[in-house]
Amino acid sequence: MSRLSRINTIWRKELIDTLRDRRTLIAMILVPIVLYPAMILGSLQGFELQVSRLRQEEYRVGVMSESVRSWLRHMIDTDPARQPGAQPEMSAEELAKKGKEGELAGDEEDATRDESPTDAARESVRATPPEYRIEIVSDPELLAKQVLEGELHAGVVLGGPPPSAAGDASAPITLLLDQTEIRSQMAVAGLGGVFERADSELLRQRLRRENLADTFVRPIDVVQETVATPEKVGGSILGQIVPLILIIMTITGAIYPAIDLTAGERERGTLETLMVAPVPTVDLIAGKFVVVALIGMLSAGLNLLSIGGTIYLGGLGQILTQQSAVVIPLKALPWVLVVLVPLAIMFSAVLLAVCSFARSFKEAQNYVMPVMVAALIPAVVGALPGMKLSGPLLIMPVTNIVILTRDLFTGQGSTVNILWVTLSTTIYAGAAVAVAAKLFGQEAVLFADSGSIKTIFQRRFFKPARWPNVAQAFLLIAAVFSANFFIQQALLAKPGVLGTMWYWGGLTAVIFGLFVGAPLALCLYARVNIKETFALRLPPLGGWIAALCFGSSVWILSQVWLSFQETWLPIPREYEQAFGEMLGVLDQINPLVVVFFVALVPAIGEELFFRGFALQGLRGSLGVIFAILIVAVAFGANHHSIHRLAVTAGLGVLFGVLVIRFGSIYPAMLAHLLNNGLAVLSGRSDALQPVLERLGYVVGDGGYPPVAWVLGALGLTLIGVLICMFGRRSPDGPLREPEPI
Amino acid sequence: MIRIEQLTKVFPNPDGTEKIAVDHVDFEVRPGEIYGLLGPNGAGKTTTLRMISGLLRPTAGAVWIDGTNVTAEPELVKRQIGYLTANTGLYVRLTPREMLEYFATLYDIPREAARRRIEALVSWLGMESYVNLRCGALSTGQKQRTNIARALIADPPILVLDEPTLGLDVLSNRIILEFIRTQAEQGKAVLLSTHALDEIETMCKRIGLIHDGRLVAEGELEDLRKQTGRSRLSEVFLQLVGAAESVFAG
Repeated sequence: MSRLSRINTIWRKELIDTLRDRRTLIAMILVPIVLYPAMILGSLQGFELQVSRLRQEEYRVGVMSESVRSWLRHMIDTDPARQPGAQPEMSAEELAKKGKEGELAGDEEDATRDESPTDAARESVRATPPEYRIEIVSDPELLAKQVLEGELHAGVVLGGPPPSAAGDASAPITLLLDQTEIRSQMAVAGLGGVFERADSELLRQRLRRENLADTFVRPIDVVQETVATPEKVGGSILGQIVPLILIIMTITGAIYPAIDLTAGERERGTLETLMVAPVPTVDLIAGKFVVVALIGMLSAGLNLLSIGGTIYLGGLGQILTQQSAVVIPLKALPWVLVVLVPLAIMFSAVLLAVCSFARSFKEAQNYVMPVMVAALIPAVVGALPGMKLSGPLLIMPVTNIVILTRDLFTGQGSTVNILWVTLSTTIYAGAAVAVAAKLFGQEAVLFADSGSIKTIFQRRFFKPARWPNVAQAFLLIAAVFSANFFIQQALLAKPGVLGTMWYWGGLTAVIFGLFVGAPLALCLYARVNIKETFALRLPPLGGWIAALCFGSSVWILSQVWLSFQETWLPIPREYEQAFGEMLGVLDQINPLVVVFFVALVPAIGEELFFRGFALQGLRGSLGVIFAILIVAVAFGANHHSIHRLAVTAGLGVLFGVLVIRFGSIYPAMLAHLLNNGLAVLSGRSDALQPVLERLGYVVGDGGYPPVAWVLGALGLTLIGVLICMFGRRSPDGPLREPEPI
Repeated sequence: MIRIEQLTKVFPNPDGTEKIAVDHVDFEVRPGEIYGLLGPNGAGKTTTLRMISGLLRPTAGAVWIDGTNVTAEPELVKRQIGYLTANTGLYVRLTPREMLEYFATLYDIPREAARRRIEALVSWLGMESYVNLRCGALSTGQKQRTNIARALIADPPILVLDEPTLGLDVLSNRIILEFIRTQAEQGKAVLLSTHALDEIETMCKRIGLIHDGRLVAEGELEDLRKQTGRSRLSEVFLQLVGAAESVFAG
């Protein structure tokens, strides 16, 4: 049975098993379809109920004299908002909306404030004052005390004669309230509304008295006008909310299947049953991973649809968006699906890895909580205003997905960014799945009586191994990928450093530190055979010849591909400029020094890591074809250019074939050295360019090399391929080491 | 045939000490034979059976199944073995039929052959009445019969059975023991570990007695009876274990 059909069998069985689990159904279907609409509609009704209750109450207000009481009574009774037909009663929804727009009298400065049921209730009484009972408390201290003790809801202290249209003075009015009491706030809000409207009316009368227009007191009248389309505004708002909802929902949906299919299986005793079947652990975990990711996606999708439907159909759109000129962009919805895939892949893999470590359902639940918290931190970082998807954030797990979602919703997502996010997420998820596979099959995890889980990581319990295992390989690929990205970004961020010896020195240190030092340290710690891992043995003659064929020809074919690619995926101008700048700097340096840094150092360092450590680590579990392809893509991704990904990954495949076929790293190093060296020196007037030109190698229109050269390069590459296919193989090359059970 | 050579398993403890669960054990189980593995609780029987089935990796020594080393070719060997314990669970949300179909696919059995095999096993083990019910709703005996069917789905030449009748009623017990006997008569090598000494007496010709990870006695039942001068197996057992303890203590 092929690996894919086996994984297919496993995931289909796991899906049936999971869908029959009541807990999954509850988390996946019942919660989104029933609970969320009920919660949202219920809270809306509660909100309206609270508003209506508070506005119907009678509030007690204290004043210090009979004259103030009469004046206040008059103010309240003659308030225009209380006159019949003046201000129709608004629904909670309209109130919230109006509150945001600053349309309520005298509340223009609050236009951008966040809305809450209390705010809305306050706005409601401010617009239409409730009933007031006015009492006289002549002692100011007693008045304050009664407000504090709740006997009165508010106090009104008039610091002079009552205001009038005839005079010019301003009447100081102090409103006493207990800010911690909602009713006190309501009473004061209502009074505030009364005074604001009276203030406007008195001002208007005074201006009229002086024969002045209303605009006299408002020399500048600022109006903000948005040019964003309602769809864009809606997209921007959704872009901030949707990623967080998706993250929480994906995790919520994936938690149960992740626990059930790992720790749950162990607890029920079916894991032992499964492990005696002739199936590699990687396949078991891959099948389970597909189901967890699928359930995570389904759950998040259903949740989003349900919430969207409730908001849209339940009339809550305005409250959520808080603005009137907003349209929820339905055409942005397909992007949700695009973003769901990396999200579900990422979290399913992480959850599986975490749960694979647990021996029981309960233990797994304890492990999962920190994952949720850890996932939300980068998500919140991504949701911060002004975050841009560039630099290190491009590959920052979760953060990059959140920012990408927002960009997609506002129509600013680029293909390159989607590719970056997908690529980096896939690498992280691959590492997590590999770790899950490794932990899932561990004896100490499988059987409680087989030693402590702690022993899994202690050096003295590692058995000597020929090659690193798949988890070690994947983990280091992911770690090196992100560390390399961050360090290179940091190097490039320093102005003027590009092309200097500092830069090249730093780059060499990175390559040797990350690509050689890290795997070497891991091999030493985990007792992995260094010679076998890095394939440090001499190849047969065919290996050298094939390497010469590839190394001397592929740089021409790469040029053809890049020129062709330029027609449909053009390199951005800034990138081209930066690349040109670097080449310009390189031109100043002695060609031999350039060959050292650009060809020799990568040929040694990158080959030792990718075709040595990574390829040997993956081949045992994934088979050579998958291993070569995955390592090639990882190799391409480490060049940090989507535009060069196809070329570098293609080179990676050829180098991988060389190592597997001839059991040695050296042919791959030679081919890598030749390829990089020729690519750089061919364009230099002080190196190979004059020689090549004499031989007819002149780059034509569109950047294509001459046809004869392309055909020659194709021929050489083909010879290399034929040698790989039919040449004498290394006796150690195709051997397979069984994975530890 | 199962051949075990110097089989050893050491479990590391986090405090740096080690626990020797199985200590240089040698024995073999021939085709057509039911070999009984006896021993007190914690003697190392289950660990031995798990190493034979490829679930645990031996610290030293080797297990050979029909000439293939379990450690070198675990997946190949797993195809040759039907493994069953009292604790092996079933997928409670699947029916016995679905579960058997699933395992048939994992063992690469073609669809039609799998269908015939499942029908035959269902009929032999009398599972007709519950083969389409969810496993979660089955009784202990029905579950164990389903488990036996699962272990035999690929018709393996070797059966490794760890307490297969634990907790079963008399009827289920009899059906399962009969079934094991039939399998041995068909030429399968059966390794049976159990605490039920009467089962060993009626089913096995040869036994191995394991104590503190070591094989303290091995041979035909009659020889062991002669060696100890006891006729009842329980007395033979106690005497051999006691002798082993005094030897180790000394």
